Amino acid sequence: MRVKLKAGPEQRKFIARIEDLSGENVYACYQCGRCSAGCPMASEMDLLPNQIIRLVQMGLEEDVLRSKTLFLCASCFTCQSRCPKGIDLARVMEAVRHILDPKGKDAFGPDEISPEQARELPQQVMVALFRKFAK
Amino acid sequence: MKLHYYPGCTLKEKTTALDVSTREAMRRLDIELVEPEGWTCCGAEYPLTEEKIVGLAAPVRVLRQVRDEGGDVVVTTCSFCYAVLKRANKAVREDPLKHKRVNAYLRDDIQINPLTKEKTTGFEDYNGEVKVLHLLEYLRDRVGPPRIREHLKRDLKGLAVAPYYGCRLLRPHKEMGVDEPDSPRIFEDFLETVGCAAVDYAFKQECCGSYVSVSLPAAATEASYRVLRSARMAGAKAIAVTCPLCFYNLDHRQEAIKETFLDFPGIPVVFFTQLLAWALGVDKELLGLKEHAVPADGLFDEGRGAEVRT
Repeated sequence: MRVKLKAGPEQRKFIARIEDLSGENVYACYQCGRCSAGCPMASEMDLLPNQIIRLVQMGLEEDVLRSKTLFLCASCFTCQSRCPKGIDLARVMEAVRHILDPKGKDAFGPDEISPEQARELPQQVMVALFRKFAK
Repeated sequence: MKLHYYPGCTLKEKTTALDVSTREAMRRLDIELVEPEGWTCCGAEYPLTEEKIVGLAAPVRVLRQVRDEGGDVVVTTCSFCYAVLKRANKAVREDPLKHKRVNAYLRDDIQINPLTKEKTTGFEDYNGEVKVLHLLEYLRDRVGPPRIREHLKRDLKGLAVAPYYGCRLLRPHKEMGVDEPDSPRIFEDFLETVGCAAVDYAFKQECCGSYVSVSLPAAATEASYRVLRSARMAGAKAIAVTCPLCFYNLDHRQEAIKETFLDFPGIPVVFFTQLLAWALGVDKELLGLKEHAVPADGLFDEGRGAEVRT
């Protein structure tokens, strides 16, 4: 039996927004799974990188936005270098983080760093971390 | 010979070993490093969405300053700075919309004349004129291995060193383009030029956990451990890195790694510039070895015998 999946207006809006922000064609993905196979953080993720892109293709915004995966991606571009379709998945992840509620809580903000930690950590790691995971 | 050098934030405080050893090494190669006046942090992360244009302002301002000082090349050692400057440069050069929007921000920068205190504005657009090179790239393409060999003062006797590329130096390939992303040679060739034996191992371009080491230490502990173990198993006596964050994750966090993985005996982590400076005859005291959590002094020992690879 054929089941036809059709995105409604809300889903289409979400998909178009992700494509605009990331500059990537999410429909290019054919789910080979090489991104997840190479991802150094995959073992900690609730949704694997290839599952994130599949959910984006289907416009399932809520499922994507509540995934822990968004805040495990270290933007190491291993997935990007291995994707046979040339999709930069790190950009898709960043686009999803971008549309999270701007008034919501930081996934990881400056408040969570103790003064002792701040003395020890290299500046670079704090700048990078807040750029990625704080509003 | 003068060369523009962008150290970046971390090198000035937490990881001075990389800065000091770079300066000492370049002095031995008769290259004078000049920092662009009034440089700021590059932002550490290149903005990956089309709308975060403001993230380009800091790196482009640095690059414009280099151009205005008459520089056509800027060299960095930190892989994060390198990635941000190089990608921002390419964006301004190739994307007309980004060029227009970034320059619209930066045109109104205020410059204060230090003598007259007069304020001026209206900067000339930056169009991507400067070339951004990593020091490894500069040494390979502009200095060349023969000239480095001519200046070598110490024999490193084939010290087995594992080059660690990490994430930012090689990827994304179409923007970084330093070397092949899956079979790079640039770091190995560098190590062999200075007299080390480059160790090939499986995890040389895997991620060390990057900034996730702060938000979720357990995940980064495992990622770093995989890199360290892989290098050790391949016979390396040390790991060489280019990035202060790789250094932090692989060196400073080894204690935490040993608590989780009890079988791991540890391995020293060094900057590539420390090996270069040492081979060029720089004193041990000038290598910044006090910053290492895992002692690396034993590697920089004149009496060290030749390595026997097992």
